Amino acid sequence: MKTRKSAAQPKQCRKASVGIPRSLLYYHYFPLWKSFFEELGLEVVLSSPTNKKILENGTKKAVDDTCLPVKLCFGHVMELADKVDYLFVPRLVSVEEDAFTCPKLIGLPDMIRASLDKLPPLLDTCFDLKSGITPYRSFQELGRKLNRGSRTIRRAFQKAEQRQDDFRKTMERGLTPPEAMEMLDGKSEEPRTKNGELRIALIGHAYNLYDDYINMNLMEKLRQLGSSVITAEMLPSSIIEKEASRWRKEIFWTFGRRMVGAAFHFFNGGEVDGVISCIAFECGPDSLLGVLIEDEAKKHKEIPYMSLILDEHSGETGIVTRVEAFLDMIRRKKK
Amino acid sequence: MKGCLGIDVGSVTTKMVVINEENEVIAHNYLRTGGNPVKVVQDGLKDINGKLDRTIAMEAVGTTGSGRYLAATLVGADIVKNEITAHAVAASYFIPQVQTVFEIGGQDSKIIIIREAVVVDFAMNTVCAAGTGSFLDHQAARLNLPIEEFGEYALRARSPVRIAGRCTVFAETDMVHKQQTGHSREDIISGLCQALVRNYLNNVAKGKELLSPFVFQGGVAANRGIKAAFESELEQEVIVPPHYVLMGAIGVAILAREETALRGGKTRFKSFEVAEADYRTSSFQCTDCPNSCEIVQLSLNDEPLARWGSRCRKWEV
Repeated sequence: MKTRKSAAQPKQCRKASVGIPRSLLYYHYFPLWKSFFEELGLEVVLSSPTNKKILENGTKKAVDDTCLPVKLCFGHVMELADKVDYLFVPRLVSVEEDAFTCPKLIGLPDMIRASLDKLPPLLDTCFDLKSGITPYRSFQELGRKLNRGSRTIRRAFQKAEQRQDDFRKTMERGLTPPEAMEMLDGKSEEPRTKNGELRIALIGHAYNLYDDYINMNLMEKLRQLGSSVITAEMLPSSIIEKEASRWRKEIFWTFGRRMVGAAFHFFNGGEVDGVISCIAFECGPDSLLGVLIEDEAKKHKEIPYMSLILDEHSGETGIVTRVEAFLDMIRRKKK
Repeated sequence: MKGCLGIDVGSVTTKMVVINEENEVIAHNYLRTGGNPVKVVQDGLKDINGKLDRTIAMEAVGTTGSGRYLAATLVGADIVKNEITAHAVAASYFIPQVQTVFEIGGQDSKIIIIREAVVVDFAMNTVCAAGTGSFLDHQAARLNLPIEEFGEYALRARSPVRIAGRCTVFAETDMVHKQQTGHSREDIISGLCQALVRNYLNNVAKGKELLSPFVFQGGVAANRGIKAAFESELEQEVIVPPHYVLMGAIGVAILAREETALRGGKTRFKSFEVAEADYRTSSFQCTDCPNSCEIVQLSLNDEPLARWGSRCRKWEV
């Protein structure tokens, strides 16, 4: 094992640093994680926004069969590897009592260990609510790995939860996760109001929708073409849960359930002019859930629906043409 | 008299039309893009200009196709439109009742679902280009046949062979195998047409509500074997409009007229002299960040007119 179970105190007096890849569940939990580590006195280092080099590194090192978002995570980890004292790649098995995240997320720390060399110690704490392990317990374990006392850890956890709560509330005001993070950090003052002439709902995993590199600036493009964009992250989870439960079976993938719930909401009185789903080519759960969303779309012909597939070979032209045609279609229909 | 110019710069071919006030085609051409969209647009303009009556003034210009932005900068277009919208506009102009449009071009294929003259759904081929014109071109060359005769061969088939059309690589393997076991070229070609149509209907048209009238346009509509295969698969008539290959260009010409009228009637068209000007494209790789964007520049007399390709847009003129 390359990871040291109980890591020694950092060298000299410099703050120890922990690297967080700007990928996968970063878009859901970064404020929580960042706040926790900072409260424990660590410096948080975030990888750069996805760029060509990160993509190339990731596709080179990750196993071929995995999905694009996981490959990207590899690229982000590689960028951080020699810059930080620890790398935070948690094993997120379950964040809800009745659901799992995704098989690839569950195996992520193992995949990274198996494929990448010369990594700093990996903080791969297991989060598994379904098995009764509360987040508090997981964070206690994480804090102990960093040799912090349980009271310090508890205080840090409480602050972090508060931060995460603020983050969620900020998004519900209509901000994307990256915008909400900027706001919380005081980097942007007021949420930019985006009242486009059209209202388009985007469905998809957060790591596809908010990674501008991999989706070819999809969100920005929609806004430039005169539409405001609404996503699942901007909806209160009560709406999503209510809508998702309309499906006759329990959907046991947390993020898939959110996507389906959000899609059902948008098609049923969600006040949108169109729905676009954005899925990664190799995503197993999406290929199943995509069908549910498509079926729902067919019941609501008055709301145009389109799905975009992302992979590492996607050309920008294909996306631009489809988005332009989609918005044209909606506009000409409204006339 | 007034005319509207429509330019469709596709990946394989470039089409130009001039339509009059009644939307009749009064001049057109059809050229191979040949990897040089700037030159082909200039050549096309020269050719169109030669075919036009001196009394015709251009009232509007529109561009479409994958090279639409480049062409628009070059000629000074009033509107730049994606191919879906352009094709749909032309199809519902010529066949007002149309409900389904099949469009198969050189590098992509699309389906457009229209209800009451409005596009309600569409799809384009994703990930792979199986079943587009380029593949047919390639197979025609391999069988040593001019592409123009391909369709006729298909129609002469007695018992078409079944070819796996899911992927062009496998389709080719399958064709070679059938050829080596002694099947006639006619039967193989017909089988290929059927495979292509099956693939199209199962992928691009998957889950779409296919209602007649069906209109088949784009370069591949020239292939009567494909048309026949569509008809036998759908058990319905498929209409190939007279200007099937020019539909994108006609559609964008019509849209250009609408757009120009909306803006008060003044066109941005530079003039046919564009054809003689010293336009050049060049490209370089930006090294300012790890994205290493490939920037393409269009310049006129060594003055940069436009640049494309930077993610951060810092290179835009």
